[in-house]
Amino acid sequence: MHALVLRASVLVLAAAFPLWLLLSLTVVVGRARYDRRQRTGTRKPSRRQAERLLRRALGSPRTEWGEWRKITAIDRLARMRHPATPHVLYHALWGPDDKAAAAAIRSLGALGDLWAIELLVAALRGGRVSRSRVASQLERLYPEAGFLLLPLLRDPEPAVRFWGATLLTPYGSLAEVELVNLTRDEDANVRAAAVEALGHRHGPYAAGATVALLEDPVWFVRVHAARAAGHVAGAEAAPAITRLLTDERWWVRTAAKDALETIGKDAVPALVPVLSSPDRFARNSAAEVLQDIGLVDHLALEDPRSSLLRRIYKAGGPRLRAAAEARAAQARAARRERAA
Amino acid sequence: MNELLTVVVAVCLAYLLLLNLVYVALAAVSAFENGVRRRESAAEDYETLASSRFTIPVSVIVPAFNEETSLVPAIRSMLDLEYPEFEVIVVNDGSTDGTLGTLHEVFGLEPFETFVRAVFPSAEVRAVYRSRTHEKLLVVDKENGGKADAMNAGFNAARYRFVCGMDADMVIAPDALLKGMRLVIQDPGRVVGVASQLGLALDPGRVMATPRGSRPVERRPLFAYQHLDFLRAFLTNRLAWSRLGFMLCASGGFHIWRRDLLEEIGGYSLGFTCEDIELTFRAHEYLLREGKEYAVLSLPDYIGATEAPDTVRKLVSQRERWQRVINETVWHYRRMCFNPSYGAVGLLGLPFYLLTEVLAPAVELLALASLPLAFVLGVFDLSAFLVMVGAVAFLTASLTAVAILLDDVHSRMYRLRDLAWLLLLAPFDLVLYRPIIFWSRFKGTWRYLRGDKSWERFERNVRSQAV
Repeated sequence: MHALVLRASVLVLAAAFPLWLLLSLTVVVGRARYDRRQRTGTRKPSRRQAERLLRRALGSPRTEWGEWRKITAIDRLARMRHPATPHVLYHALWGPDDKAAAAAIRSLGALGDLWAIELLVAALRGGRVSRSRVASQLERLYPEAGFLLLPLLRDPEPAVRFWGATLLTPYGSLAEVELVNLTRDEDANVRAAAVEALGHRHGPYAAGATVALLEDPVWFVRVHAARAAGHVAGAEAAPAITRLLTDERWWVRTAAKDALETIGKDAVPALVPVLSSPDRFARNSAAEVLQDIGLVDHLALEDPRSSLLRRIYKAGGPRLRAAAEARAAQARAARRERAA
Repeated sequence: MNELLTVVVAVCLAYLLLLNLVYVALAAVSAFENGVRRRESAAEDYETLASSRFTIPVSVIVPAFNEETSLVPAIRSMLDLEYPEFEVIVVNDGSTDGTLGTLHEVFGLEPFETFVRAVFPSAEVRAVYRSRTHEKLLVVDKENGGKADAMNAGFNAARYRFVCGMDADMVIAPDALLKGMRLVIQDPGRVVGVASQLGLALDPGRVMATPRGSRPVERRPLFAYQHLDFLRAFLTNRLAWSRLGFMLCASGGFHIWRRDLLEEIGGYSLGFTCEDIELTFRAHEYLLREGKEYAVLSLPDYIGATEAPDTVRKLVSQRERWQRVINETVWHYRRMCFNPSYGAVGLLGLPFYLLTEVLAPAVELLALASLPLAFVLGVFDLSAFLVMVGAVAFLTASLTAVAILLDDVHSRMYRLRDLAWLLLLAPFDLVLYRPIIFWSRFKGTWRYLRGDKSWERFERNVRSQAV
C-alpha cells in the first residue's frame, strides 16, 4: 500500500509539475504577445489568410467549435468588406446553421448598405433567426430602412406585420393610414404594435384609433392603447383611461396610471372623482398620479387645508400624506432661506 | 491499529483521486465553454444592444444594510450602466448607520408614495424615495428583515420582467448588464437565470476605475488566494456546470432572474442562513418538476468587483457561513440527489456538492487525524508525505493555472506581472490558504450540525468615506 501510494504520488508529481510550468508559460507568453499586438495594431490579413477565412466562412462545420470558427471568419470578412461579403452573408443567412445566420444578421446591420437592408427585411419575413434580433439591426438603420419596411405591413404572416408596425414607430408620419388599418387586425399582437406606433404620431387619425382600442377585449392591447392615448389623445382620452384604473388586469391598471401621468395636469378633472372610487387600487393610483404631477405638492404648500388635498390624503393613505408634508416642509424651509 | 490507518488512508486517497478527477473533467468542459462564450461575445453587437428599444428592460435591486461606506460608489456605477432601459432599486433594510442619510445627501432623495403589488413576502415598508438628480433611482426604506427579505421588497417594487440582484459593495462595469442580458435577449423564454464572474478587491471602486488590461490584483497573499479561489470557482467549475445543465449557484453579488419565475417559486426564502444558493436550487427543482425547458447560465465575463475580507477572521466568518448554507441547502433538497427525474441537477449537480463541499470537512479531518496516528504507530514516512503534498499542490496549481489562462484569454483584465505573481503563488495554496478554508468549513459544518443559523456580517474594509 505504502509503496503504491508513493509510486502514484511520484507519477502525479512528475506530471503535475511540468503541466503547471507549461500552463504558466502559456499564460505569460500568450499575454505578452497579446500586449505587443495591442501596441502594434492588428495586421490586415494577407491574401492567403483571406482565402482561408473565405473557405472557413463557406464551409459546413460538424462540431460546435467549428461553427464558432466559421462565425469568426464571417465576422472578419464582413469587417474588412471583402468583395465576397454579400455572397458569404447570403450563404450564412440561408444556410442550415442558426448561429452563423445570427452572425450574418449582425454583420448586415453593421454594413447598412441597401442590399444589406433588403436581405435583413427578407430575413425578417422568412423568420430566419429570432425576429427581434433582425428587428434590432433594422432599427439601427433608421432612416435608410424606412420605405423598405412598408411591405411588411401587408405580409400575410401576423408576426411580420407586428414587426413592420413596431419598426415603423420612429418614422414620423410614414404609413399612418396603414397603421390605423392595422388597429383592426385580427391578431392582437399586431393591434398592440400598431397602436404603440400610433402613440408616436400626431396625424389626424392617430388619436381616434388609439382611444378606440382602450376597449379592446385583449388586455395587452389595452395596455398599449392606454400608453399611446396618453401621448396622442391627451385630456380628451383622460376619462376613458381613468376607467382602466379599475381594469381586471394589473398591467392595464399600471399602464393607465402611467398614461395619466403623461397627460399631466389636464387629467386632473378626470382623476378627482376616482379619489372616492370603491376600488382601492384606483383610489391609490389617482392619489399617486396627483402626487406625481405636482398637484399634491402645490396644495400642501399653498393651500394645506383645502378639501381636495384632504380627499387625496384620504385616498392615498398616511404614507402619501407623510411624504407630501415632508416635501412641503423642505420647500418652505428653502423658501425661507431664499427670503433671508 | 495499522489496519485502521490503512483504511483511513485508503478512504482519503480515494476521495482525493475522485475529487481531482472531477475537477480535471470540469476544467476541460469549462475550457470548451469558455472558448464558445468568448467567440460568441466577440461576435456580439453590443453597440446595437445598448441602444435598441428591443433590449429587454431590467430592474436592478440592491439590498443594503449598514453600507454607509460602500454604497455610494456601488450605486454610481449602477446608474452609469450602459443599458437602454433599467431602474435601480436600493432597499435600505433598516440600517442603523448613516446609509439612508448618505443616500439622501448624495442623490437628493425626496419621499414619494408608490403603490406596489406585494407579491413577495417582506417586512413593512416605511417610505419610498425618488432621487431629484437620478430618475432611474428608487430607494425603498423598510424595517430590518435580512437580505432575503430586502430582495423580496425590491422584487415587489420592480417594474420590469427581469430583475438583477447586486450586492451593495459591488462596483459594476458599465457593460455588465449588457453582457449579463446578452443571452437572455436571444432567448428570454428559455434563459431564466444568469450569473457571471465577479472580481475581488480591497477597494472595488479604485480597482474598477483602472482601465481593462492594467487592472491590478491585490498582492497580499490573503487577497491573491481569494482571487484565485474565485477564478477557479467561476472559470473552471461554474462554466462547466452551466454547459452541463446544473448551474446551481447564482451568487448574490450579481444574478439575473426572470421575475415571473420568482413569483411562481415565491421569491427568496427567509428560512436559510444565506439566500442565493437556495433560490437557485429551488428554481431548478421547480422547473424540472414542472417539466419546463429552461437554462440557468454562468458566464465568464468579468462584470464587476466586490469587497473581499481583508483579515483571516473575516474570511473564516464568511466561508463558514457559506459552508453552513451549502449543508442546509443540500440537506433540504436531498430528495433530488441521484434522482434521475431531476436530470443533470440530480445526477451530477447535487452529488458534486455532496462530494466537494458537504463531505470535504469530514474527509479532511480524517486525513489530518491520520498523521499523528501514523506518527504514533511509527509508520510515518516524511519523504512519501512530502511527495504526496507536492503532487497535490502542483495538481491544484495546474487547475489554478487553467483558471488564470481561461480568464486572461477571455477578458485580458489584469497586468502581466500580476498574472505571473498569481501563477507563482498557486503551488503554495495548499499550505498557505487551504488550512484557513479547512478551518472555515469545519466550523461551518459544526455550527450547521448544532442548528445555528445566525451570522455575523463581515465588517467593511477600512477605506475612505464615500462622497
